[in-house]
Amino acid sequence: MIKLESVTKVYKGEVLALHEASCDIQKGEFVFLVGQSGSGKSTFLRLLNKEEEPDNGKIFVAGKDIARLRRWRIPQMRRQIGSIFQDFKLLPNKTVSQNVAFALEVIGRPRHVIKAQVPAILDLVGLQTKMNRFPHELSGGEQQRVSIARAFVNRPLILLADEPTGNLDPATSVGIMRLLERINEIGTTVVMATHDRGIVDTMRRRVIELSNGEIVRDQARGVYE
Amino acid sequence: MRLGYMARETLRNLRRNLTLTLASILTVAVSLSLLGIALLLQRGVSNATDRWQDGVEFIVFLEPEITVNQLGLVQDEIERSAAIESYRYVDQEESYREFNEDFFPENPEITQLVTPEIIPPSYRIIPRQLSAEAIEIVASGFETKPGVKKVVRATDEIQKIEKATDVIRWIVLGSGAILLGTGLLLILNTIRMAIFARRREIEVMKLVGASNSFILVPFMLEGTFQGLVGAALGTASVYGANRAFEEWLSSENVLNILQSFAVGSGEVWGIGALLFLVGALVGSVGSAIAAYRFLDV
Repeated sequence: MIKLESVTKVYKGEVLALHEASCDIQKGEFVFLVGQSGSGKSTFLRLLNKEEEPDNGKIFVAGKDIARLRRWRIPQMRRQIGSIFQDFKLLPNKTVSQNVAFALEVIGRPRHVIKAQVPAILDLVGLQTKMNRFPHELSGGEQQRVSIARAFVNRPLILLADEPTGNLDPATSVGIMRLLERINEIGTTVVMATHDRGIVDTMRRRVIELSNGEIVRDQARGVYE
Repeated sequence: MRLGYMARETLRNLRRNLTLTLASILTVAVSLSLLGIALLLQRGVSNATDRWQDGVEFIVFLEPEITVNQLGLVQDEIERSAAIESYRYVDQEESYREFNEDFFPENPEITQLVTPEIIPPSYRIIPRQLSAEAIEIVASGFETKPGVKKVVRATDEIQKIEKATDVIRWIVLGSGAILLGTGLLLILNTIRMAIFARRREIEVMKLVGASNSFILVPFMLEGTFQGLVGAALGTASVYGANRAFEEWLSSENVLNILQSFAVGSGEVWGIGALLFLVGALVGSVGSAIAAYRFLDV
């Protein structure tokens, strides 16, 4: 599903973010990306989304070399990838259901599809009773659920999560991780960058550790350190 | 669905940025009215000169005390010339009558000072070829004939008017162009503000895979809308200016000759259509530049 072949990314010609990184992630895998701040985790995720271009090496997503993708095909590719973030990136002037519906609206989904899918996905993330609330009226955990609903409402093949529990307390984080596990069980490939030792150690999934831009460990059923 | 979404987004942006939007619209409106008025002026002058050129003639004024001999020589010259279509001799009595009727019908005290004896008789001559050069050749032939006081060509007057309006037109056109540039920059800036105001939404749109056109079009529409509303206001003021001019022409104390400056309503609408085109162009180009510089899609 995701394959990196000796990928190197250098920012402004001097900051080495990723160096000769290679890995292969199968469909349906759940992968933790660990390492210190600045070790290249976010760059790893941004490269998969084509928000950044590698300086060297090849990246395949869903079997396609994304460097050879034409400009106007990039949006099509991104529809197969859902993204969630530490800061949720919700739109403050839209309600919960409007935030989720927005993701479908802007890719041109017809109204009846939106009407059917938004309540269904909000049901899945457990927010069916808060559809008409605004983001600032929700707790951090609830906001992250909205952002997961938005990322997943289009049923992407891949879910990229950049420190999704970074702003949440441990108990709330557990709920979010259960949700991501469920999404993974449906067959979605999940790649999650995290600093959360507890989560990595209890879930025992594949762990890829980055250090100064290099993959120093790639371990099935791994732990944080 | 898509159309509804885009119309909604465009309207929302316009409302959110009301003051800047108004500034851009008014600048476009003023610049386009200047452009329209320059075009109107050009049409008017060209209409007037067309009409005058239809009756193009030159007048050979003779000395009032011309001898019969000299008169005969001039007359012979005119009749023999192959370049002359027709001519008419206007004697002193007739010239005197024309003078009174044309210029001072309400001021008999002036005409009392003028007697037929001091008014020159003249030949009104219509040449076969109506180009300015052809007229010049025929007309200048008479200048040196004995008994000829002066040769006056209609083209002289036309050229004077054309020169004067040319200067005015270039000034109006120049200031219109500068203002149009300002309008473009203002629209560009308005769109840039709109993009900035919506940067979170744009980020999410890119993230979930909205197509580039989907992100771009509302901003392009917004700019084009501003250009078009500006054009509508500009067209309205050009139309109004023309109406005011027509009204002024039909009032009593206006010289008859100015009537030929009137511009037909068909021509006014033609200018209006052009203004709409320029407005739409300025709006879409301004927003396109902003979108490509600040949207990064």
